[in-house]
Amino acid sequence: MKPHIPPLKIAKPTSNLSVSTSPDDTKYIPDRFYSAHGQSEITPPLTPQGARDIMEQTEAPRAVFHNYLRAFYPFHPAGDVSPSTVTLPLDQGDIILVHSVHTNGWADGTLLDSGNRGWLPTNYCEAYDQLPMRPLLKALTDFWDIIRGGCGSSLKDFGNQDLMRGPIAGVRFLLEKSECLTREAPLVRKYDGLRRIRKALLSDLSSLVKTAKRFQEVANGTPEEDEVEGILDEMLLKAFKIVTRGVRFLDVWNEEVGLSRTIVELEQPMSDNQSLYDMPPTPASETFTLAETAPYSDTTERNDSRQMSRSRMDFSRASMRTEMLDHQPRPVSVSTKRISVSHRVSYSGPSAAICAENLASERLGTTYDAFLGVLGSFIGLHMQSRSSTELVTTTQQAVQSCRSLLTVVEAVCEHDTQRSAFLEQARESMCEKLSELVHAARDVFRPAHLPDDDLVFMPDEGKRLVDAATDCVRAAGNCLAKARLVLEQIGDIELEPSENEAPSEDVPGLITPQPQPETIPNSTYSPSTPGLTDSTTPSSFHSHLTSHSPANLSALSSLPSSAIMPTHLEGTSFSSTDSANRISHTKSEMGESFGRGVTSTGSSFTYNSHTRDSEMSGVSQTSTRATSPDIGGSFQVPSLKESVSHSTLAEENEETEANILEKTYAHELIYKEGQVMGGSLRALIEKLTAHQSTPDAMFVSTFYLTFRLFATPVEFAEALAERFDYIGDTPHAAGPVRLRVYNVFKGWLESHWRHDRDNSALEFIVEFAKTRLATDLPTASKRILDLAEKVSAVHGPVVPRLVSSMGKTNTATAQYIHPDTPLPPAILAKKETNLLKQWKNGEASISILDFDPMELARQLTIKESRIFCSILPEELLDTEWTRKSGSLAVNVRAMSTLSTDLAHLVADSILCLEEPKKRAVTIKHWVKIANKCLELNNYDSLMAIICSLNSSMISRLKRTWDIVSQKTKVTLEHLRGIVDVSRNYAVLRQRLQNHVPPCLPFVGTYLTDLTFVDHGNQSLRNLPTDDGEMAVINFDKHMKTARIISELQRFQIPYRLTEVPELQTWMQNELVRVRSNGETTAQVFYRRSLVLEPREPSRTATNMQPEANTSILDNAKDKFDFLSWSNNSKAKSVATNG
Amino acid sequence: MRPQREYHIVVLGAAQFVQNVWIESYDPTIEDSYRKQIEVDGRQCILEILDTAGTEQFTAMRELYMKQGQGFLLVFSITSMSSLNELSELREQITRIKDDEKVPLVIVGNKSDLEEDRAVPRARAFGLSQSWGNAPYYETSARRRANVNEVFVDLCRQIIRKDLQGSGGGDPSRKREGPNRHDRKRESRRQNSRRRPCVIL
Repeated sequence: MKPHIPPLKIAKPTSNLSVSTSPDDTKYIPDRFYSAHGQSEITPPLTPQGARDIMEQTEAPRAVFHNYLRAFYPFHPAGDVSPSTVTLPLDQGDIILVHSVHTNGWADGTLLDSGNRGWLPTNYCEAYDQLPMRPLLKALTDFWDIIRGGCGSSLKDFGNQDLMRGPIAGVRFLLEKSECLTREAPLVRKYDGLRRIRKALLSDLSSLVKTAKRFQEVANGTPEEDEVEGILDEMLLKAFKIVTRGVRFLDVWNEEVGLSRTIVELEQPMSDNQSLYDMPPTPASETFTLAETAPYSDTTERNDSRQMSRSRMDFSRASMRTEMLDHQPRPVSVSTKRISVSHRVSYSGPSAAICAENLASERLGTTYDAFLGVLGSFIGLHMQSRSSTELVTTTQQAVQSCRSLLTVVEAVCEHDTQRSAFLEQARESMCEKLSELVHAARDVFRPAHLPDDDLVFMPDEGKRLVDAATDCVRAAGNCLAKARLVLEQIGDIELEPSENEAPSEDVPGLITPQPQPETIPNSTYSPSTPGLTDSTTPSSFHSHLTSHSPANLSALSSLPSSAIMPTHLEGTSFSSTDSANRISHTKSEMGESFGRGVTSTGSSFTYNSHTRDSEMSGVSQTSTRATSPDIGGSFQVPSLKESVSHSTLAEENEETEANILEKTYAHELIYKEGQVMGGSLRALIEKLTAHQSTPDAMFVSTFYLTFRLFATPVEFAEALAERFDYIGDTPHAAGPVRLRVYNVFKGWLESHWRHDRDNSALEFIVEFAKTRLATDLPTASKRILDLAEKVSAVHGPVVPRLVSSMGKTNTATAQYIHPDTPLPPAILAKKETNLLKQWKNGEASISILDFDPMELARQLTIKESRIFCSILPEELLDTEWTRKSGSLAVNVRAMSTLSTDLAHLVADSILCLEEPKKRAVTIKHWVKIANKCLELNNYDSLMAIICSLNSSMISRLKRTWDIVSQKTKVTLEHLRGIVDVSRNYAVLRQRLQNHVPPCLPFVGTYLTDLTFVDHGNQSLRNLPTDDGEMAVINFDKHMKTARIISELQRFQIPYRLTEVPELQTWMQNELVRVRSNGETTAQVFYRRSLVLEPREPSRTATNMQPEANTSILDNAKDKFDFLSWSNNSKAKSVATNG
Repeated sequence: MRPQREYHIVVLGAAQFVQNVWIESYDPTIEDSYRKQIEVDGRQCILEILDTAGTEQFTAMRELYMKQGQGFLLVFSITSMSSLNELSELREQITRIKDDEKVPLVIVGNKSDLEEDRAVPRARAFGLSQSWGNAPYYETSARRRANVNEVFVDLCRQIIRKDLQGSGGGDPSRKREGPNRHDRKRESRRQNSRRRPCVIL
């Protein structure tokens, strides 16, 4: 499996070697020349012999370092070529990736054809830097650098799709520049050679993408070194192949098109390009070709091809538009696949050359695509709970398309009986899956037999259906892969033409063979069936592919019965009939009655899912339309989306083709280690609504949370609407992407609407929902309008938002306490209750000593937790809480106020006492309370209490501390170690890292971190572009912010403790009392402290001493040593031990 | 080779002085975000920096920070007079807690890149620094990384000097020696360094 590419692992020569011109370097070169072994591979051989070479050598050292060279002269060194040959034999036209160029004209390079690496004479080569190839070449260079220069640690990043963007974009660019972007491009049609190479190029690309996918899977498991290396090598080779193919493509293009262009240009200098844009958007290919070839010149290739590509886009857009109009209103769920399929059909009209379609491989691909398309609608059907009529027809379609796929597979089998055992197996398993699918479908219909004829949609059955469909897709993918493999081995085969002409108009749907009477005859649909009535819908496409010629009938009948048995749907009401008309009649009736039932249940079903909260579900919902749920991106969960895209990408040029066609701003994103670091607003929005992958939850949360920092709400809404529009150019993606756009709007309105900021965008959103959204997704439009109405009427989130929707996934680990578990009873005896009553009546004064430390800690915790839990994320953005006036961060402010008040209360309760002994008792009590706070994981209160006990006004009370018991001091020391500020709160951070809620973290660390992220990171990033640089949003900054906020939100879970209102009142009263001293509180306390225990004359000196004497080693210990009592040796030993 | 010294530095004040602005992305939990190695007069010093940015409202916390520090950066923004005024209270608290009038500290006027928004005349800030026993005054731009290193070197030098004095019995007159000339030199250095971003570490 591992490809033979030995020299790939040669260490890259260090730069100083490659530029070395020292005399030693040259003196032993002569005898080493061309010798195959023993020579250092990093020193290049001397100039190739021959007068000509020497003469030309002068031009070898180039000022510009070219990454790619192309041999224009064959270079075959004498002797055999062995794997360890230092020199690299070249054929004319070979492309070489250059790693370094020696001053003597030899270059260390890798031959893209073979992947071999060695030295080659640069004077045999010319720099290869064709403009249309540039992005692709650059992508390969990057690819090389990542794989060969990368470190193993970030292996996972290699496999993700982003890595594939480079090559995909490169190929796209090449095709765009050469006006061959679509298969139906006039040039592609006209020049067969071009078409073939284009196809090969795309197949190379899809092969690379497939390998990348595989790599991703491997990397996500527990990869073995060898395996990873093997796949990486494979990927590299495939990337090489793409480039080689691209070069060849360009060669052919230049030959075929470029030349004629030049001639035309000479004859006819200028023609009206404008006419192209004004052309009616009919995809009448012939006329287009004629009109097109004329105005283009080769001399100004760059400009022209730009114009060309523009007109190309217009063309496709225009035709898209007509298509869309034709199909309105179309069902949401199935739009994705159907559009993509119909798109192809509309382009490759009946006149298109179909000869290639008889090739087994081609037919394999098309039938497979059709099958997937149908299964896609299957999933869509389930999720949307659409009419059962559709379900019936889709089931049939599935069977049909599966059968046609199996036909091809069968044919392949027949051609090669020796090796196709595994193919046989794959086919059989596919049959099984299909059978399961049909059974599942039938079960869904079973309720139709109930007397009242009302169909009850059964979610369980629906799930089974989806599962079955998922299995089917997987089996089909497997089957296809196996078939391809066989084909690769035995070579492509030509099948009999599958085709009768396109179906007549009045039978627009499937016209499939009825090889066996008991099979469900698939016939027509009732015209009311949405989306399937049009002749450009997949139905017609299927009919293109589905074989019903006699020849294929025989092929079909040779299928094992298992493939056909499952299609029995007679269990349902439409039992077998031989009259197609009758069936269609029956069915439309059935469809109507079913339809009604389903629609009602369906709508409530969707409503339920709509009201689910959090963007997690919002996102997954989108994905479930086209796919199956894959919340959290877990790879273990077999998701249909993955298997679809996997197998599709794996084997489908179509998909690659579609990828190429997609309009994208992906180049405006900055990645680092697989993470989006920055990007323009539209690029980020594109990422947010990507159709291939569910955006990760953190990305979505970050968007909702922080977008107001980089865009106004109106800009955000407009960008979303723009995305909604331009994705229309990419039919295969339009469906899911538009749903995602809708979901973003929905999530925003439902749970992330900020009335203070976002109301300005409401008008735009309503307008958007009424117009563009209503055209494409009427239900979605309605939902948005409903929400918009609610948003303007309600103050506060429409759907009650769990404050922390982001961090909530982590809280799954929270201790689960059954809601019925009784709260711990308050530790409050009659005596205390009475005291509180008396205090209320002004009859008695009470102090903290009157209450149990645990109960006080609990009440403190309740009080604080209540504020903490109500902190809103927006309070934490943009250092809002530091704003001097009008700060929105009321709860953050309340936290700091409470914390300060508590610290003052501690000081006050100690300093109000005249006798040292009483003060010592109070200190002891506070230490106990602090310890209980720790037990309750209330770090915030703990921090405040310890701060106060450590403050100079308390810690300087030497006489008091002398009376405090050793035990208390040890406890205090322990607590102090926890809230230690050194190493940026390392201890505290460590504790909180994997802390299980309920917990009250110290808010200060979050605030500091947020401040640093906010001030320490620029809001823009520079993105190098073709023409200079462009400043894009530094999304990483916002991701970091969101991550910190979600950390905090993780703890926003209330405690389960019994509140004692009387005690709360007293505490609140106390806190307010100490606050009334205002700004000067600290000074007042300090003065009181001085009165209680006046300064000792020697104090200054003794205090200076330890600090001044601090040796380097003691320093770390001494930083804990700031309590006065700790200066005495006994305490100190405790301090260092604890 | 002389042993490395490690000092605790506390950054206080209203204006955030992000000394780590050159780190492409700030991660508070990694050591680099709060530790810094600098060379002071040929000696390698490790500084552990406690920046209290964002927690100004937790006034009760301040003492905890202050006790931690051996040297202090009192930062204000040259665009805000009130931020300068707030330093007095901080300084008072520091001297009270340290029980020392000559705590190593540096006054930092940050955001010097926003000259056009300047609200604190240089003379005013300089006057304040002189009234505080000739504490050094720097103007920096954390954003442009201007003068940031100098601030830390100066502070570190003060701490080292204090260390030596502590063991050597103290020299009360040290602060008297030619402070004006010293500061003028600093002033001019500041002018220069505002144009060239200083490279730290």
